[in-house]
Amino acid sequence: MKRPEPFEVFQPVSIPEACELFRKHGPGGHFLAGGTDLVIAIKEKGLVPRYVVDLKKIPSLTGIREASDGSLTIGALTTMREIETAPLIRRKYPFLAQSAAEVGSIQIRNRATIGGNMANATPSADVAPALLILDARVKISRSDGEKIVLLEEFFIGPGKTIIQQGDVLTEILIPPTPPDFCGEYIKFSPREMMDLAYVGVAVGVVAEGARKRCRDARIALCAVSPTPIRTRKAEETSNECKPISDVRSSAAYRKEMVRVNTRRALLNAAAGYVDNLSWTARRDRRYS
Amino acid sequence: MEELAVVGKSVTRIDAEEKVTGQTVYGYDLVLPGMLYGKALFSTRPHAIIKRINTEKAKNYPGVHAVITGADAPWIHGETIKDTPFLAQGKVRYVGEPIAAVAAVDEDTAQAAVALIEVEYEDLPAYFSPEEASKPGARAIHEDYPKYHKADFIVTSPLPNVCEHFKLRTGDVEQGLRKSDLVLEQRYRVPAIQHAAMEPHSAHAMVDDSGKLTVWVPNDAPFRVRTETAEALGLPPEKIRYINPYQGGGFGSKGGLKVERIAIALAYHTKGRPVRVKFNRQETFVSTSTRHGAIVRIKSGVKSDGTLVAREITIYWDAGAYSEKSATVCIRGSLPSPGPYRIPHVKVDGYAVYTNKPVAGAFRGYGIPQAAWACEQHMDDLAKRLHMDPLEFRLKNIFVDGDITYWGEELHNVGLKETLLRATEAIGWGKTEKLDPKGFKIGKGFACISKPTRTPTTSNASVLVDGQGKVTILAGTVEIGQGCSTMLSQVAAEELGVPIENTRMHPLDTDVIPFDSSTTSSRSTFHMGNAVRHAAIHAREQLAQMASGILQAPEEHLRFSDGKVFLKKDPHHAITLGEVIRTQLGPDGVVRGNGSYTYELGKDVDPQTGHSDHASAFYMYATQAAEVAVDEETGRVRLLRVVAAHDVGKAINPLNCVAQVEGGLAMGIGAALHEELVVDNQGRVRNPSFLDYHLVTSLDVPEMKTIIVECPAPDGPYGAKGLGEPGLAPTPAAIGNAVANALGIRIYDLPLTPERVYWAIQAATD
Repeated sequence: MKRPEPFEVFQPVSIPEACELFRKHGPGGHFLAGGTDLVIAIKEKGLVPRYVVDLKKIPSLTGIREASDGSLTIGALTTMREIETAPLIRRKYPFLAQSAAEVGSIQIRNRATIGGNMANATPSADVAPALLILDARVKISRSDGEKIVLLEEFFIGPGKTIIQQGDVLTEILIPPTPPDFCGEYIKFSPREMMDLAYVGVAVGVVAEGARKRCRDARIALCAVSPTPIRTRKAEETSNECKPISDVRSSAAYRKEMVRVNTRRALLNAAAGYVDNLSWTARRDRRYS
Repeated sequence: MEELAVVGKSVTRIDAEEKVTGQTVYGYDLVLPGMLYGKALFSTRPHAIIKRINTEKAKNYPGVHAVITGADAPWIHGETIKDTPFLAQGKVRYVGEPIAAVAAVDEDTAQAAVALIEVEYEDLPAYFSPEEASKPGARAIHEDYPKYHKADFIVTSPLPNVCEHFKLRTGDVEQGLRKSDLVLEQRYRVPAIQHAAMEPHSAHAMVDDSGKLTVWVPNDAPFRVRTETAEALGLPPEKIRYINPYQGGGFGSKGGLKVERIAIALAYHTKGRPVRVKFNRQETFVSTSTRHGAIVRIKSGVKSDGTLVAREITIYWDAGAYSEKSATVCIRGSLPSPGPYRIPHVKVDGYAVYTNKPVAGAFRGYGIPQAAWACEQHMDDLAKRLHMDPLEFRLKNIFVDGDITYWGEELHNVGLKETLLRATEAIGWGKTEKLDPKGFKIGKGFACISKPTRTPTTSNASVLVDGQGKVTILAGTVEIGQGCSTMLSQVAAEELGVPIENTRMHPLDTDVIPFDSSTTSSRSTFHMGNAVRHAAIHAREQLAQMASGILQAPEEHLRFSDGKVFLKKDPHHAITLGEVIRTQLGPDGVVRGNGSYTYELGKDVDPQTGHSDHASAFYMYATQAAEVAVDEETGRVRLLRVVAAHDVGKAINPLNCVAQVEGGLAMGIGAALHEELVVDNQGRVRNPSFLDYHLVTSLDVPEMKTIIVECPAPDGPYGAKGLGEPGLAPTPAAIGNAVANALGIRIYDLPLTPERVYWAIQAATD
């Protein structure tokens, strides 16, 4: 661990003020949300920010809201713990709540935010596949206005997104899903908790009628590509992902686990939601 | 024997409240007035000559008080082989070896100055496997090994880089194998793992004006490290003082001179100011010590009725770059490696081999877990080929009372069979359902071990009783979290008949506390338990003599209980211990009892044959069993249940015994399923953090059942043996046997990660 070089910290109270700070101070600035990635980057990975803009004083960046059409808006500073525990998310998208619960420890989830997690674009981010199968979008504010892009197009590489200096990720938007939509997230890692995904698979299916004819199937993966991905050529997931070998596991094994866990997730999703299932019980479904 | 009052009771740990309320000051928390902060520069090369070190920039960095290299600290240490420099002397032998150190006004300044030290290396060929490093023709990692000062029991070898060669020779293995109906040969591997104690390593050191060196460090053997320091520095031991703050776990890692030597070297250059050196987690992973990685070749011959005839074992212990405790791990890990079985023809060769990897040292179990991983799975495979039940096969061959072991010792008080029967009964051995509702393969397995303790060793203790009837125990056993202070308090309270609340442990300081060999090798309950018991009895005898005058009764009619002395026949005729002392010695009087214990019979093993008629003061026996569900599609092993039956002789504190076993099981489960210190082909540790080095979490540990077996040791206090180490020793083998039972596939290498199990399943189905 090294001593951080001194840097300035700003605490804007509005989004325009935050954008303006970046315009004024130029390159070398970093946003601070939960700090669970930034502080480690500074202390242990040699990141030297010129200045840091703390977003936590901006009131409009928190909260989970549902619109009358069923769409959801999640403020970028909403913590993983809030996603995990919010009754609205648990009822509507239990797999999304579960994917948030899979992140780190409760202490980490109390700090880590969904916006910070997306903006850091970690290939193994658990929440990303769950959002990808929901066709989630992100709202980005900049000094000259706002834009909304698909999360799928937001990630461009490990730690890289389309965000430019001074852009603020303000909201995650989840459009309405069909009434019969059912999703599932499986995190595959050797340890039960406190682990990074070796493979993360989220699937969503829309099964219609008594015979459960599948009208739509969506599959997204994390930890097996440079970014979390939506596998559009869904039935060929093993070919679409490009895992690497590292100290955790080999690429070949990761590919095998994508195949196995995708099938399991699809079968679970097709079986439909079970009411009032605890997330740990949900998680145990990875074994079936 | 009268009924025991506190011994054998599950009293609450005396240190529980201060620990759970966060008041305990551990070594890592210690702050000394005027202290400076030290940081070390570590080698980035696995094997290289240091051509040049430039410390000028570091010396000129503001806030720096001292910058030192090997030239400023030209000392060599080693417990059994003096091969380890305080700071690298002209060459480095592993990535992570300390080369230079800085003392500065704060840790950040020290770290910044360390970054300014320039080192120029000339690389040498490096070895990362003990088999490669000991092949004839391999280059010596320690060119001066023949010249090193060595303990007299060290056996050298003509093979390169072997720092100890253990030999056991009993009967005629060749002939035994020829006479056998079945011969099976296998090769097992165990990787290096790290202790991962919750508290990382730290030490504080100061040299005062008189030249006396004081070291504050949570070390598991303060007297042994004082001797090692004295020998290295050429000082008499009384010029060195070790003060032992609370230790936040050690598991064998916090012995010898590790972070200590950097603090000591700096203290000689900081003019009377104390220096603190704290290792962070990464430094603790790489630059302290690891458990020995091991390669075990095992070959057995057996009669078709299941009688073991011969066993031949070769173990390569990966010592890493320096010998540390490798010689004794090699001796005491190799000696019982053929397992707790009667075998007439045995040949064991254990080689501790230098490699260019992090230093391996003591680790809870001291070589037994590695050997058990091989031996106990080998036993199951032998049983399978004999078409015998593994339990029946073991029962036919295990040690029982009166057996003469293959190292020549007659055994008594052997609780092994009871552990075997009770553990297998508890797991429901023989009642295996092959499929669980989810379609996973279910399997059960078990493994047993016997573990010796380091012998002979000595413990001394004193017990002080004051005019308030309070009891202070002076004992050199280190509270490393194992609960020794509670156990020793129970022993003193029992013998003096005082409430346990009236006892306390004196802080550990080698200038005050009488000598103790070490808090290692599961020896403390047996040895220090005896010493404290003798000291308390000695104090009680003095008190009885005093009280007999006051109570007008002969000593043998007195009884001690509830802080009072009274007549056995007339309990109301009583006087408190405090009153006895105040009456006889005045208000500030103190009665001091002294006790000492050495297991006299202990004899070092013969270096040529490995034989000893008393290799250990006592033996610890255990059987553990596991039930697993294996997810064949992913290779993931889910533990359903584990059972551990341990012969402890006598449980002085049953609850603490269960806790000790459960802690051991959790560690053993980690070693079985997750843990491996990954070293790449450049000698770098690839996972020196809890992100990628996987310890188990509470969710990875299943239902645990601990069975305490009490087969008393006549020489132990109240019959007690030891328990610190065995909790993790048979665990991986029991789980390995359960996995093999579930899948019908034997996996020879640890850990049983999902990926390893998956590919083993694929290879078997291809």
